Amino acid sequence: MGDRAATRVGLGLERLAEPVIAWRTWALTGRRDGSALLLRPVARKARTWRPREVVQASCRASLLHEAPDPACTCGLHGTHTLDILRRTRCPAVLGRVALWGRVIEHEHGFRAQYAYPQRLRLICQFCFWMTTPPGLTPVHVGWFPRDELIPLCERHLRLARRNGMLPRALVPADEVDQHLRDLYAVDALAV
Amino acid sequence: MNIGQPKRIIEIEPATLPLPGELEPAAAPVPLPEEPAVEPEPVAPSDG
Repeated sequence: MGDRAATRVGLGLERLAEPVIAWRTWALTGRRDGSALLLRPVARKARTWRPREVVQASCRASLLHEAPDPACTCGLHGTHTLDILRRTRCPAVLGRVALWGRVIEHEHGFRAQYAYPQRLRLICQFCFWMTTPPGLTPVHVGWFPRDELIPLCERHLRLARRNGMLPRALVPADEVDQHLRDLYAVDALAV
Repeated sequence: MNIGQPKRIIEIEPATLPLPGELEPAAAPVPLPEEPAVEPEPVAPSDG
């Protein structure tokens, strides 16, 4: 998108040399032993984030524009702060993500053309939803139907079991966390 | 996820950045200097 297009939609255009860094959460899938890990957008039907591959945005709503388009909601999302992510559905991984190419900055985040995670850590989604810090460190990763992996702290694993949320297998969370970072060649998120 | 109204467009080149692990490989090891050639021992000139 060039200067004229930016003017057409009434937005300013700025050119930067460094990628934008933003917050993001992902869902996680893998095998029952914690292998074959794959980051997935929390919007289930969106494209997976494969290890060591740049993710490129596309728009399923329209083939007529490139993603991200200012008049659409397409693009790879990241947010300025953690708080807005607490409303996302089933987050399993929290991280910092690099965004580049064409990036549209919004009031609370970004939509980008290209992205790749920079730092990752597993989170207990129930802690993350409820607490101000990112959440207690999960101790287990539960393996659920459709290969969904859900990290849980001790307290919320007990609570989940009492409410019929029964993992078919459990893997130590620290092993999955390390394997995820090795696989994606990223550093740990220290929060 | 509602990230509010768009404010500006940013263009960040290059379109692709190196991924972790794709950065420049470590410098090739410096080859050790070759062993100095063993000088031949002086041979006494033969008589005659």
